[in-house]
Amino acid sequence: MSDVVMAEIRKDYLYHLMLKGERADGRAFDEYREISLETGLIRKADGSALVRLGKTTVMVGVKIQPGEPFSDTPNKGVIITNAELVPLASPNFEPGPPNEVGIELARVVDRGVRESGAIDLESLCITPGEKVWIVFIDVHILDDCGNLMDASSLGAIAALMTATVPAAQYALGEDYPLPVKDVPVATTAVEFGDSVIFDPDTDEESVADTKLTVITTADGSICGMQKSRPGFISQDQIYRIVDIACERAKEIREKFLEV
Amino acid sequence: MDRMDRNVVVPGDILSDDPNRSGEGTYVKDGCVRSLLYGMASSYKDKMRVIPLAGKYVPSPGDTVIGIVQDIVFSNWIININSPYEGLLHISELPRKIEMNEMSKYLRIGSSVMIRVKDVDSTMKVELTMNDRRLGILTRGRVAEINPTRVPRLIGKGGSMINMLKKELNCNIFVGQNGRIWVDGNDDDMDLALKTVLIIEKEAHTTGLTDRILEFLRVEKEARS
Amino acid sequence: MIGMDEKLSFFKDGLRLDGRLPDELRPIKVEVGVLARADGSCYMEMGDNKVIAAVYGPREVHPRHLQEVTRAIVRYRYNMASFSVEERKRPGPDRRSYEVSKVSREALEPVILTSYFPRSVVDVFVEVLQADAGTRTAGINAASVALADAGIPMRSLISSCAAGKVDGEIVLDPMKLEDNFGEADVPIAMTPGGEITLLQMDGRLSKEELQRALELAKAGCQQIYEIQRKVLVDRYSHMDDAGSCDEAVAEEEI
Repeated sequence: MSDVVMAEIRKDYLYHLMLKGERADGRAFDEYREISLETGLIRKADGSALVRLGKTTVMVGVKIQPGEPFSDTPNKGVIITNAELVPLASPNFEPGPPNEVGIELARVVDRGVRESGAIDLESLCITPGEKVWIVFIDVHILDDCGNLMDASSLGAIAALMTATVPAAQYALGEDYPLPVKDVPVATTAVEFGDSVIFDPDTDEESVADTKLTVITTADGSICGMQKSRPGFISQDQIYRIVDIACERAKEIREKFLEV
Repeated sequence: MDRMDRNVVVPGDILSDDPNRSGEGTYVKDGCVRSLLYGMASSYKDKMRVIPLAGKYVPSPGDTVIGIVQDIVFSNWIININSPYEGLLHISELPRKIEMNEMSKYLRIGSSVMIRVKDVDSTMKVELTMNDRRLGILTRGRVAEINPTRVPRLIGKGGSMINMLKKELNCNIFVGQNGRIWVDGNDDDMDLALKTVLIIEKEAHTTGLTDRILEFLRVEKEARS
Repeated sequence: MIGMDEKLSFFKDGLRLDGRLPDELRPIKVEVGVLARADGSCYMEMGDNKVIAAVYGPREVHPRHLQEVTRAIVRYRYNMASFSVEERKRPGPDRRSYEVSKVSREALEPVILTSYFPRSVVDVFVEVLQADAGTRTAGINAASVALADAGIPMRSLISSCAAGKVDGEIVLDPMKLEDNFGEADVPIAMTPGGEITLLQMDGRLSKEELQRALELAKAGCQQIYEIQRKVLVDRYSHMDDAGSCDEAVAEEEI
C-alpha cells in the first residue's frame, strides 16, 4: 500500500518538541519503551520468543534440523535467518517475497548472532562433511509500531537461549539445550535535527534522516553496526550513539536475558 | 435469541420482530430486524438503530473534514481525508482565483486543510471545496486522529461536550467528521486537550461522560497550577 | 513417534487421547483488538492451534485495475509461520495456502456487505503461529471476529470447525494426531442460522456418516459462535448505566 504523506503540521510538532528536549510519548531521548518478553510459547518450535517493545510485536521461532554443511565449512553448523514483514503487521507491508527492508532486517539480526559468536558452530557438527545442525531463525513481525531491528534481535537471542537441540527426534542422542556463548543486543537510534533519539516509534522513524543500529556483546564490545536511511552522520555522533548503545544494551541484557 | 435488553450487539443479533422498525445499521431478515454492525443498539424515533464502535469515514456531501494534501495532478489537489476514498480539490474551489503554475505555492504536499465535501457520486468520486471563509489551510496548532465513529460523542448533545472543552481549555477546537481533530492554543492547553480527546474516544460508549471529563479537567488543571 | 503400522487405539473408555468426548471441542481462547496497526484484529487458540487475524479496510485498492465500481473486493491471505509446524516450512505461499485462502475468503464474503464500499478492498490477513489440525477453521473464526472489530457491516458472524472420522467413529474437531491417522475430515463454516459457507471433505464416509459429521460440526459451530459473540460483547461491558445510551448516540451539527 502507498504510504500516506505525513502532515507538515505533525512534522513541525515533532521538531518543536525535539527542540525542547521532548518526545511525543513523553520519553527521554535515550529511553526505551516498555519491553516485555515471553519465551517458549510455540511448542512446535525448538525455541521461541514473543517480544513487545511498546506496541511493536515480534514473534521469533527457532527450528533446529539436521542437514548438509557448506562445502567450505564441512565441520560447522549453519545459521539461516529470515524475516517476514507480513501484511498483517502494517498497512505499509505488502504480501510477497521479502523486500529489501525485510532482507536487511534479517541480515542485521543474523550479523549479531553470527559475529558475537553466540552460537559455537563447530559444536553443531554431527558428522564432518556430511551432517550438521542447521539453526533456522525465523522472525515474524506481527505489529510494526517502530524499531523492528531491536525487537527482532532481542527475540532472536531470547529464542536461541531457550532453544533445545531436538537430537532424540532424529535418533542422534538425547535432546540438549542449544549452547549459547554470548548475548548480542541491538540498540537503534535515529538522528533528527541535531538530536539523537533511541528506540524510535514509526513517526520518529519517518521524520528521521539517519538511523544507526549498534549491536554489542556481553563484554561491551561491538559486533555489528548498520547505518540506514539516506542521511549523513558525523563521527562524533557515531561515538555518542555507541556510548549510549552499550549502556542500554547492558540494561536490557541484565533485565530480560539475566546476563 | 432476542438481545434487545442489551446495548452492545454483534452483526446478526435480532433487535426487533417488527420489520417496520429497521433503522440505520440494521437489516430485515425473516421478518426480524437484525444488526449489520458490531456496535451500540438503541431505539430512536420508533426505529431500532445501531451505531458502530469502529469503522472508516465515508464522505457525504456537506461534511467538514480535515485533509492532508498527497499530490497535485493537473488542476486538482489530491487530498487524504482519512477514508477509503481520496478527495479531489479543484483549483476553482478556492476562495480566490489562482493560476495552475501557482498551485504548489498555495497548497503544498503535506499541507493540512479544513475543507468541505461538495459532492460524492455513486462510484465514490469525492469532490471537495474550500470556498467558504470558515475553511482554509491549517498552519498552526496540532491535529489528532480518533475513530470517526466517536465523533458524535466528542461533539455531544447540542455541542455540550465540545463547547465545554473549548471553554475549560481556552483552546480553539475543530472536530472534522472524518475523525481528525484540530486544536490551537498554548502548549500546555493543547497537550491537555489532546489527552482529553483520546479519553473521550476510549470511553465514548459509556454514559455520564461529560461530567466525568469535567471532573478530570478540574483535577488536571489543579495539578498544573 | 508412532509408526504407521502400529495399531493405535484412539479411544479409551469412550474418551479420546486428550480426554475429550467424541462430540467435544478443544479448549478455545480468544482475544479481540490485539494489534495496534490493524483496523480490526483477533487472536485465537483452538487446542494447540494459535492464529492471529488482522483486517485492514475498507481501503484503497492497489493495483487499481482490481477495483470494482459497484462493490468492495475482499482479499484473504492465509499464511503459516515457518516455525508453526513440526518440520520447518519454507516461508511464503504454497499451493495449499492458496487454496485455503480462496475457500476461507468465500466462507466470509457472503455475509459482508460489499456494496457499501464501492471501489475499495477489505483485506483479511491470517497468520498461523502454531498448527495442530484445524488452522483454516481457527483462521476463519478469528477473521470473522476481526471483521466485526473493524466495523465492517455484516449480516452475521461466521463460525467454523471440522468433524472427522477416527477409528470408525465420527468425532468433532480432530487434533493433529487424529487427523494424521483419521479416515475422513470435514471442515465447515456457517452462519448462526445454519447456512453453510465452507464445506470441504476428504477421506471416505458413508452418507449416514456424512450426516452425522455435519450435525456434529454444526453443533460445534454453534458453541464457537457463542464464544465469538461473548468476547465482542464483553469488551464493552463496563457500561456504568446499561439502561440507556441516549447520550452516547447524540448527534449534532458542528
